[in-house]
Amino acid sequence: MDLGLIIYALNLSAIYALMAIGISILWSSVGIINMAHGATFAVSGYAAWLVTGVMKPVIADILGNGGLATFAMAGTLVGSALVAGALCGVVIYLLAFLPIHDKPNFQVRALIVTLGLNIAAVQGLLWTFGPRNQGLPKIFGFGRWEVWGTKIRYDQAGTIIGAAIIMTLTLAWLRYSRRGLEVRAMMQNAEGAAYSGISRQVTALPVLMLTGALAGMAAALLSQTIFVSPTAGVIPLVKGLTIALLGGLGSVPGAMIGALLVGFLEAIVGAIPFLGQRYVMFATFLFIIAVLIIRPRGIGGLLDDTRE
Amino acid sequence: MSEKRFHKVGRRPYELRLTPDGSAERARGRLPGTKRHWLQWRDVHNPKTLRRERVLVDKKPLWWVIGLSFLVIITPFLPNSLISVVSIFCVYASINVLWTLIIGTAGIFSLATLAVVGASGYIAAAANVYLGVPWPFMLLIGPLAGLVFGAVLAAPSTRLDGLYYALLTMGVAEICRVFVMQLRPLTASGGAITNVDSFIPEDWFLQRPGLLLGFAGAFLLLLGALLVWRLVNSERLGMLLRVAKTSREDEAFAEAIGIDFRRARLLVFVISSAALGVVGAFYAMYFRSISPQIFSLDQLLLLFAMMVIGGLGRAEGAVIGAAVVTIIDKGLITLGPPRIILVALIMIGVTIFAREGLTGARDQFRDFRKRKAGERRAGRTDKGGEAMPEEATDVHDKQELYYRRFNKRLRDRLKELITPELIEEHKRDPLGHHSDALSRVLNYFRRGEMADKYVIHRMIPAEEKFRIMAVSGQRGMPPRVVDDREYTDIKDAYHAVFLLRVNDLLES
Repeated sequence: MDLGLIIYALNLSAIYALMAIGISILWSSVGIINMAHGATFAVSGYAAWLVTGVMKPVIADILGNGGLATFAMAGTLVGSALVAGALCGVVIYLLAFLPIHDKPNFQVRALIVTLGLNIAAVQGLLWTFGPRNQGLPKIFGFGRWEVWGTKIRYDQAGTIIGAAIIMTLTLAWLRYSRRGLEVRAMMQNAEGAAYSGISRQVTALPVLMLTGALAGMAAALLSQTIFVSPTAGVIPLVKGLTIALLGGLGSVPGAMIGALLVGFLEAIVGAIPFLGQRYVMFATFLFIIAVLIIRPRGIGGLLDDTRE
Repeated sequence: MSEKRFHKVGRRPYELRLTPDGSAERARGRLPGTKRHWLQWRDVHNPKTLRRERVLVDKKPLWWVIGLSFLVIITPFLPNSLISVVSIFCVYASINVLWTLIIGTAGIFSLATLAVVGASGYIAAAANVYLGVPWPFMLLIGPLAGLVFGAVLAAPSTRLDGLYYALLTMGVAEICRVFVMQLRPLTASGGAITNVDSFIPEDWFLQRPGLLLGFAGAFLLLLGALLVWRLVNSERLGMLLRVAKTSREDEAFAEAIGIDFRRARLLVFVISSAALGVVGAFYAMYFRSISPQIFSLDQLLLLFAMMVIGGLGRAEGAVIGAAVVTIIDKGLITLGPPRIILVALIMIGVTIFAREGLTGARDQFRDFRKRKAGERRAGRTDKGGEAMPEEATDVHDKQELYYRRFNKRLRDRLKELITPELIEEHKRDPLGHHSDALSRVLNYFRRGEMADKYVIHRMIPAEEKFRIMAVSGQRGMPPRVVDDREYTDIKDAYHAVFLLRVNDLLES
């Protein structure tokens, strides 16, 4: 396996991990399978596209065309994607959590509401912007590094590093902040957390905003490699969901391992000549199904309360 | 005997009741070959008139007949485009009914329904186009393919938990789509199999007679799906599964009483998969082609939206939801993309506000009205009244309620009379001539119920040593000692009883 393949695999893994961790955290702490994650992804991509479109002349006016301008551009892009993602999280909170969180069948109903939100958002984007792909400004610039004889594109490196930073920040927030402690308590045992005075309503909002922002980050990073389109969220959503499952819903390390496994699997299957890119999805799903049949709760999931 | 007129009052909802001849013997038709009756009539007695009345307990069959016959009667008069909409509605409704069987009856949250339909449709269509099998055999090949596919899909469902299985089956649909798209013989047509032979003659295709024939077939398909639903859900399999329906504890209970619910679930899954195979073969025949579009997530979500809007787990919900969504999706096709947004918004609204979709709205409204009525009753009654409003509806003897209310008002009056002077007056002279207020209070005490009535017990015969006890009120049960205080003067004991009663009165 050469280095280029590893970089490509890591690149895929980084995006998948960002999506999967969001889904996983949300499921285990709040109890929502967020089908609107893909819509969040697409909406933040479009928001970043709009904002950078507006800001580009402004930044060029003030800062000229130097490195500082690129830096400002990158900040605008990532910032707008993060904010849009967090706002999507707020919308999901208002529609899929707040009105139904104390009603029967909350989990199924939340799933359905987020599904509806996903459909509505994707169709709304299609309606407003049309099915055309939109290219975002390249914040990492074009070009590649030469490392040990293989070329690494800037966007790949940027994606991997950016995702790693964001994930580290998220995990640190979960580990060391007061709010993170509450979220982890809810992940462990929602009822017990409620008994110790952790409000579900209050804690769910930052969790939803955080996971939305993670999806926004994924959109900002992926927009460096591919274009933004209304249906761009579907594949990351399906991948994120399946990887969150593979890792065991609710297990952050499991989701990371799952993302790495799937990223490498896809890179390798894509590289094998007689299989090729066409069988990537096929191989991924077969792999995930096989793992789930062997370990019904995923890689990091506990087996204690599976069906016998 | 002159007929007495009664006004419609009270909580009984007004409904149509037959008044059969009281002396006539009861005759009910039965479904041929079974012990079931056509309609669920029940004989009741009107508690006021004491006449025999006949009530139709389950009115759903009537609604089904009305709705389906309306569909049959209206369709021949529709324009061509609407006929195909109605046919597509029938196909979607039958898929949904069978899916309801999987999600509702079997409780397996499968999203591979369209994958089963598509796979069996593809296999049947391929058999027809490439092997030259005549079209009637497609209706055999389809269910066989569905059976096999369903059996393969059902295998992991016993091991995986609900949502895990749902997402896994979503993956299966994706695999099917990719697989079909990759097949080399089909790449020319974008993965579609075209020119499938059909029960509609080729020169009638998309003509009015062809459309009507297609509608007839689709309607029969819907009837068949409803029959499968009835046979599975309301007969033995469905009854077995109803035991293990709601929770993990129910599953344990079902297992303990010897119901192999896993086997029953698999059986339901496989049966409905076979039925979905028929739908798949029909689908390929109806459109004369089948394309990978059927495996797409959008199509699946649209069908899921139908079930959710109608109400998950009910056949009527599946059909009504299919009607609503098909009308919006195919009927308002000029609207463009916003119609899908409309469907999504309806789906969100229904999920947030309705407990069980549109078909559950009636029950939900009744519950809501009942709750509001209870709240109003509670508002009318004085708080702290003897009979709480919810309890009052359960007390059969309404006299009792009025007695309690009277008692409460009496006590409220008496409480106002009790003053330190009154107590002082009683202490001075427990027996003898009392003021008006004290006599009222004492009269109330004397009239009290036997249970927990205070009595004075002379501890040793012929000795001035008393204590206070409370009568149990039950025959054979001894009185209990109230406290360990002893009185050497009978007057003190009288006053102590008085104080206890005053205390009880003020606390009540």
